[in-house]
Amino acid sequence: MKNLVRPLCLIRRFNTEEQKVHSSRISFAMIAVALCLVTLFAKLWYLQVIKSGELRAMSEKNRLRVVRLPAPRGKILDRNGRLLAGVTPCFNVCIVKEEARDLESLLRKLIPILRESEAEIRIQLAKGKREPLYMPIVIKRRIDWDTLCRIEASSYRLPGVYIETVPDRTYPYGAIAPHLIGYLGQVSEKELRNNSFPGTRPGDMVGKYGVEAVFNRELSGRNGLRRIEVDATGGPVRILDERPPVPGNDIYLTIDLDLQRAVQQALDDKVGAVVVMNPNNGAILAMASSPFFDPGLFIKGISEKQWKRLQDRTKKPLFNRAIQGQYAPGSTFKIVTAAAALQEKVVTPSTTYFCNGAFRLGRRVFRCWNWRGHGRTNLYKAISQSCDVYFYHVGLELGIDEISKYAMAFGLGSRTGIRLPGEAKGFVPTREWKHQRYGENWQKGETLVVSIGQGATTVTPLQMARLISAVANGGTLYTPEYVEQILNSHGKIVSTFTPHPSGKLPVKPAYLRIIKEALVGAVNDEKGTGTRCRIKGFLVAGKTGTAQVREQKKRWRKKHVLWKYRDNAWFIAYAPADSPKIAIAVLVEHGRHGGSVAAPIARKVFETWIRLQSPRPAPVPQRSAQNFSQRRLHG
Amino acid sequence: MVDRRILENFDWWLFLATLLLMAIGFVNLNSASAATGYPYQYKQLQWYIAGTFFMLLFMFIDYRTLMVYSFWIYIGTLILLCLVLVVGRTVGGSQRWISLGIFNIQPSEIAKLTMAIVLSSYFCNDEKPEYGFSDLVRPLILTLIPVALIYPQPDLGTALLLVFIFASITYLVKIRWTVIVSVLAFILAAIPLGWSILKPYQKKRVEAFLNPESDPFGAGYHLIQSKIAVGSGGILGKGYMHGTQAHLNFLPEVHTDFAFSIWAEEWGLLGATCLLMIYAVIVYRGLIIASHSRERFGAFLAFGITAMIFWQMFVNMCMVVGLMPVVGIPLPLISYGGSSVIVTLMGIGILLNIRARRYLFQQSSMGVWR
Repeated sequence: MKNLVRPLCLIRRFNTEEQKVHSSRISFAMIAVALCLVTLFAKLWYLQVIKSGELRAMSEKNRLRVVRLPAPRGKILDRNGRLLAGVTPCFNVCIVKEEARDLESLLRKLIPILRESEAEIRIQLAKGKREPLYMPIVIKRRIDWDTLCRIEASSYRLPGVYIETVPDRTYPYGAIAPHLIGYLGQVSEKELRNNSFPGTRPGDMVGKYGVEAVFNRELSGRNGLRRIEVDATGGPVRILDERPPVPGNDIYLTIDLDLQRAVQQALDDKVGAVVVMNPNNGAILAMASSPFFDPGLFIKGISEKQWKRLQDRTKKPLFNRAIQGQYAPGSTFKIVTAAAALQEKVVTPSTTYFCNGAFRLGRRVFRCWNWRGHGRTNLYKAISQSCDVYFYHVGLELGIDEISKYAMAFGLGSRTGIRLPGEAKGFVPTREWKHQRYGENWQKGETLVVSIGQGATTVTPLQMARLISAVANGGTLYTPEYVEQILNSHGKIVSTFTPHPSGKLPVKPAYLRIIKEALVGAVNDEKGTGTRCRIKGFLVAGKTGTAQVREQKKRWRKKHVLWKYRDNAWFIAYAPADSPKIAIAVLVEHGRHGGSVAAPIARKVFETWIRLQSPRPAPVPQRSAQNFSQRRLHG
Repeated sequence: MVDRRILENFDWWLFLATLLLMAIGFVNLNSASAATGYPYQYKQLQWYIAGTFFMLLFMFIDYRTLMVYSFWIYIGTLILLCLVLVVGRTVGGSQRWISLGIFNIQPSEIAKLTMAIVLSSYFCNDEKPEYGFSDLVRPLILTLIPVALIYPQPDLGTALLLVFIFASITYLVKIRWTVIVSVLAFILAAIPLGWSILKPYQKKRVEAFLNPESDPFGAGYHLIQSKIAVGSGGILGKGYMHGTQAHLNFLPEVHTDFAFSIWAEEWGLLGATCLLMIYAVIVYRGLIIASHSRERFGAFLAFGITAMIFWQMFVNMCMVVGLMPVVGIPLPLISYGGSSVIVTLMGIGILLNIRARRYLFQQSSMGVWR
């Protein structure tokens, strides 16, 4: 190899003879080059002088239009394949600036047809100023049929105006699980600049909240493009090429539409939240936060009145109470205190304390909710009748450190890890926190308050649903999950639900059983606090809670208390008690009493669930029988 | 220091034509960039500046050094070409680039210059009164190795260009006329065979060239649109930044291979002819340099580099005006592309170098290696 390119540092000069041949060959090459250039020039002459007129006419006619073929957004369905969010065609008015020769006169003609203010249209036009001239700019979305016809009829005098048909989001059931499903909104200027949503144009809708936002990538699919050759008037001549759109993936939620509807009906106009969960795997069967809103409003455009209602300061419809609302757990917290006491051997099931309606610590008196007192009280009675005094004794024995340790082990004070943005942590007070925050030592009186779920402790309804699920299933905390499976547009499974155990309750199953018995008693005993959730032939286990928002001196005259100072009502439960299949956490803001307000909501949900379990098969559109049976197994 | 005689023999014509070409290239890319929506012109400006630096560098290093290192230049280029096949970056379906972080290099561009150097060096050393068939076997092998490495990228254009450079240099060394004639005859005979080697997309392009209307929206699309662009420019052109063909995205690759068509569309026959003239000046000066060189290596190298520039320009323009099928060959210094710009400017630097060192061989007494 080296021989082939042997470098020799010798100068090889031409002799006279060679020089002559060399020069002549180069002269010959020059002639060849000249010929080539003349050929090129001749061809240029031919094209640019002789054929010029013809080709120029062709170039005038030559107009390319790029039409975007928007990918239909993936559907969101419930666990049985019922459509919660789908797509329908809608019509947008677009302007292609390049074809609209006189934009001003075009706008003058267009504005009366669209019945839209000029300013609004100019804003839309300005949004597309960075796009190439041939790109259609949407100036009005979702025109009605009447406007569509009028534009089509006068299209000949509106050069550069096009109607674009795009798939549009619809929510066929309206306000069903709006906080979970979420809503869409126009992509903002900032998001466009940061390219937060690749491939979007101004005016495009992107997921802003809930599943729509979390799974925006999966749902969006990929837009297609079609290049069309159009003539001078803008009429399509032919399709040059096309990249078909890829529809978004379909997301099946673990939500059951019937159950969700029952939950929302049960909540009605109360302000609150309900989370229904499968205690054995953490799948969320229903999740509601009241008041509700219609996610479709964000698509069609919101009137000022509707917007005001959505922005209501006290009811906060857009606030997802199920995961963002933080409330004192009230008596539902007694489950934690009881479990800690049993596990730490502070009490046995037979330990009793005497309740005379109040508990004196130093100079302060701590009352039981029942001013008459419960008498001799053991653990079973303390839970089922929710005796505060019993838990004052137990709390004092345990101490704050143990209580907060157990509260955290039960999943309180930290996020559950549900895939939704903005989840609140809740709060579990500790000795260190008190010291850091206030520079004071922890007081025993505070331990008493914490042990019955009042004070600084806050929890979210989702955390409580997870807590009661863990109690029900024998001690496993699952990460709440709401996606059953994701299918791509060909029906292939992209991902499917798998339970994620995230922790274990540090309580012996035997002790949990004792607590569970008491929970059954709370609902089914004559004197239980949750008797309003009793269902014939169906054993429900649950715990009520009534959490003070502000201290009330005279409990029996609550009627005159302002709404916002009334107690929050809690009820957490699972059923059937012997082999739990469904767990629920109900919170009603300022509902006053867990037993009378929250428990009936849970009962309605349970009743619906029982009805759904009956042998009558639910209609299953678009799902194979095999899928269905699999779902039933862990549903 | 730099010899006074180097400056005396500086080829101002070639240098000015090169600068003018770069200016046109920038102006034209400014329009093409507006059409594509990406500021290619400023990146290209960086390449021009870097390339000018290389041009001056190659001017002041004695070009005979290249002969000394030609073996290593060749091996280095082959290694780069192999690397491209292994770790190359794929853009638009062809694997032609090696990514170096901030920029990508295109070894097939470097191979063009390498071939000119290596073949000149080979023929310089292999001095014979006349060359026959058997004398061409080794240089042919030297050429076919990089061709074989470039062809599968796939980059038919550059592979062909290397063969063109080879053919040009062998033409200059004294081969027998009979050899030239018989090779031409052989090529004509081999066309059917070559047809079967072509990849499907290449066949489509040739078919489209022969009959563009057969597939006006597939393979013939570029050709038709490019012809419309050039033709609609007319004599005076549509005016700068007003070329509808390019600005409405009818023309693909308007910043690279079809840069000439936007130029011809916007500046008309007048502008296109001016561009042709500038290239003519460069090629003419290159040939003069080759002709005036009294020394084999310099003459061959100057001719090889001139051939490299000429063939690229000729094939590219022919493609744009529809005289040849579409092959991906850039227009030197006009098309966007860092490697192409730098390699072309290096080549021009070498040309200037050969010209400037002409005095070394003017008197026979000085004909020794210094």
